[in-house]
Amino acid sequence: MPLETEARAQVRALIADLKPNDGDLLQALHRIQHEYGYISREAMEVVAEQLGLYAAEVYGATTFYSEFRLEPPPAVTVRWCGGPACLVRNGRGIRDAILATLGLQELGEQTADGRVGTWLGQCNGTCELAPMMWLEEHGHWDEARVVGHLTAARAVRMARALRDGASVDEVTRG
Amino acid sequence: MVTITLNGRKVETQPGRPLLEVIKEQGIAITNLCYIDGLEPYAGCRTCIVEIEGARPTPLQVACATRVADNMVVQTDTPAVKRQRQAVMSMIMANHPDRCLTCHRRVHCMPGDICLRDDVVTHRCLTCSKNYRCELQTSCEMIDMGEFEEPWVGESRSYYEAPPPDPDRGNPFLEFDPQMCIICTRCVRACDQLRHTGAIALSGKGHTTMIAFGTGGPIHESSCDFCGACIDVCPTATLMEKPNKWVGRADDWTNSTCNSCAVGCTLSYGLAEGRPVIVRPDRINPLSRDQICVRGRFGYDAVGERERLSRHLVRSGERLLPASFEDAVRRAAQAIAAVRRSDGPGAVAVLGSPLATNEEAYLLRRLARDVIQTPHLDFSHGPVHRAVTDAWRAAFRTERLPAELTTIEQAQTIVVIGGDLEESHQIVSLRIKDAVLKRRARLVLISSRWGELVPLAKPWIQPRPGHEAQAAQALADALAGGEPGAVANVVPERMAAAAEALRAGRAAEGPFAVVFAPSAVGAAAAGEQARAAANLAIAARGQAAAQHLHYLPSDANVHGIADMGISPAEGGRSFPEIVEAARAGQIKALVVHDDNPLLNAPGTAAIRAALEAVDALIVIDSLRSTTADLATVVLAELPFFAKDGTITTADRRILRQRPAGRAQRDERDGVAVLTALANALGDVMTYGGAGDVMREVAERVPGYATHEAIAQAPGATRALGPAPTAADRQPLAAAAPATAGDGLVLVTGRSLFTSWDGASIRSEEADKLHREEAVLINPRDASDLGVRMGDEVVLAAGGAEVRAVARLDDGVGPGWVYLPHYFAGGAPMSLFALDGAAATVRVRALQRA
Repeated sequence: MPLETEARAQVRALIADLKPNDGDLLQALHRIQHEYGYISREAMEVVAEQLGLYAAEVYGATTFYSEFRLEPPPAVTVRWCGGPACLVRNGRGIRDAILATLGLQELGEQTADGRVGTWLGQCNGTCELAPMMWLEEHGHWDEARVVGHLTAARAVRMARALRDGASVDEVTRG
Repeated sequence: MVTITLNGRKVETQPGRPLLEVIKEQGIAITNLCYIDGLEPYAGCRTCIVEIEGARPTPLQVACATRVADNMVVQTDTPAVKRQRQAVMSMIMANHPDRCLTCHRRVHCMPGDICLRDDVVTHRCLTCSKNYRCELQTSCEMIDMGEFEEPWVGESRSYYEAPPPDPDRGNPFLEFDPQMCIICTRCVRACDQLRHTGAIALSGKGHTTMIAFGTGGPIHESSCDFCGACIDVCPTATLMEKPNKWVGRADDWTNSTCNSCAVGCTLSYGLAEGRPVIVRPDRINPLSRDQICVRGRFGYDAVGERERLSRHLVRSGERLLPASFEDAVRRAAQAIAAVRRSDGPGAVAVLGSPLATNEEAYLLRRLARDVIQTPHLDFSHGPVHRAVTDAWRAAFRTERLPAELTTIEQAQTIVVIGGDLEESHQIVSLRIKDAVLKRRARLVLISSRWGELVPLAKPWIQPRPGHEAQAAQALADALAGGEPGAVANVVPERMAAAAEALRAGRAAEGPFAVVFAPSAVGAAAAGEQARAAANLAIAARGQAAAQHLHYLPSDANVHGIADMGISPAEGGRSFPEIVEAARAGQIKALVVHDDNPLLNAPGTAAIRAALEAVDALIVIDSLRSTTADLATVVLAELPFFAKDGTITTADRRILRQRPAGRAQRDERDGVAVLTALANALGDVMTYGGAGDVMREVAERVPGYATHEAIAQAPGATRALGPAPTAADRQPLAAAAPATAGDGLVLVTGRSLFTSWDGASIRSEEADKLHREEAVLINPRDASDLGVRMGDEVVLAAGGAEVRAVARLDDGVGPGWVYLPHYFAGGAPMSLFALDGAAATVRVRALQRA
């Protein structure tokens, strides 16, 4: 029997009102990702216990949705917009420049120190700002900073500053 | 019944059955890569397409999802069907190495040939461990994939585009290589619907869909029990047994029976070069059917061939030296005869084993009673078994309960009294899960320890260890009228809920299953629990109680050897008395067959003293066990899987064990060893083999039958005696005090992964997963003791000490600890007294994690 640790108890408290056979799985996963920024294995096990599912089923559902993270999020996430307007204005070049600056292979990865991560963003229709990206600090998902009218040079400057420890505020101020 | 026309032939069958099963039953070969017999169709692979006359919107339909209807006209082999199957198969193979599977030259290709198409080695069937036993491969051959001209010829396949995902080879049982997977999801459904384990799920989506175990980590960190049901259904090399993976293509198959627990699942051993290399379930046992557990599937491989005895050993001073069979038998007989001459036959004692066959047990009894003429005959779990059967006799006037385990699946109410059945008797646990999950049966669980049945139980009653009988008795009283009495440490609401469930169960028709699985340690407690279990069954079903009471002994052939007479005769000593007498010098020669009392029985110090005190210790075993190390003569016997004979299961089914494998050097069949020993002692036994012995058993032991008779009704022959003639309630003794003084109560149980063979020789790899090598402590006790997760602790009782790593666990209650029986070669047994009474251990932290 798994030991009820403090971490597990916290997750359990977060989803205590959710019931089996109630279609509550995604709700549970959303709450956990909102609270912790990602869904840990332990959390999946607690969800499975709470909702009367197998842990493997919870894992299957979590991996089906690309927005659920399985690893702790980085301190800052660079969410690169993959929308058509951004793409026609050198979005790919900007993406590659950011990845190269951070030493990453593809979107979704993060730097080894967990400082900066990248993510594929979905077009939200503010195409007048293209090419654009969002900068998000861990724990402040609602306050994502929009950076529009990017150039490759500016993207590299920002990525470099973020990599070296600057905050989102600092890199967007100038 | 309806009649359908199948390839021009009229076939009668039940209406509404899946067409695919009917086709297969008729012996017609049909490809199907995702269907599992008996489960809902998944209709994912589409390779079972057939032509059904008049079907809408097209005559081409998948056979698995089609239900048989009257006058259906089905063709399985038209050109259109074949072409459709080829097209479907071609898409399935887009994500599988397929170079050999689609090669028309494959029939000309010999192992070792260089590929004329210049295919990379890793893409060829010849380098796949499942070559020649692969369902996908066979399916491709059946529909001539080499002839199929793909419309998308020349386009590169996705398999060759992306790097293969990593295999998981991190555990000793199951290898998982996702690059071979065709996402048929058979394993997902087998794990969920056949095993209710649910360790496997589909992860990801679209192109990156993959099967994953647990929460995506390695298999051994998931809830997987390594039963291998997924291996049985996997049509590719994705899920494979790790042992003998590359030689698992058996030349021959032998039907036999597992001897790892009393369920007696029937197995099929695949043999290569005279030794077992693979195990599949065999459907003869109607309880186990197509399911077995990790011990059944991998038990033959628990210890290596080199660790088994292949030569007989004779003591010379400090050492045991190899000897010929004749010499060893002569030495053994001389040693026994010498004691018999000087101190009389009463100075010789004989110990049998529930791991032996009925035939061996019968010969051992003859050796003891007729040849040596000693009444001192027992086995190390004998006292526990007799405590239970005494209760049955008092209640029902017979110890042979007629209850059949297969009725558990039909029961609406199930009461389990015991430890963790999932670990001790997994297939019974599985059938209980079947009843609860598929037929909404109500499970009341009386167990002091958490187990996999706990989440299914409504309610789980967790008494303190030693109070299970009181809990069961309280429920029996509640069924007789009134509210259940209070049981120490059990919430009254749970007792009330259980009583209500049982009342409803009593009112309902059909089986009411009381399943009782006593611990292998503690005869007095087992007797109490048996009386309470009988009382509960009687309260629920009155005179028919014995039909509903299931007794699961702790070891395989306990019923069989007891029936054969392995128990003290008139004036004979029981196992603990034999040990005491040997220490006192009254017993001077000991014959031990297949048993290792140092592993099996409580009171290790006393037993070791006894084994060292006797003048002659004759051990017959396939392993150089810790007992054999002390022997005067060790007669090497074939291992359990190579034995010929029968065993009697928990529900008294007589099942055949057939020899799978042959001797490495000079080790002999148990029947041959015992015959030779008896003859050397002056008898004239002329048995040619187990069949001869069983003919005599059938004449002399009621309920038993010859091998030939058993073969007439495989799986259905049961050793039943006269029917129960009474159903009398038995009084219980007063409950033991609820506290254990200043220590913690020690509880043991049979662990799932630790092999008897490995534990018996104290192998480091007895628990190959290293999952069960820990003592479980309640977090509250741990914090009182200053013990943290992973600390090394010492358990001390009665002058003995056992070191183990502490694991904090909510599944054990405060005031007691759990350490698996087979831990470190049965080390926990040293903490008990010889009578197996509850042991109180002092726990102290030794080393910080």
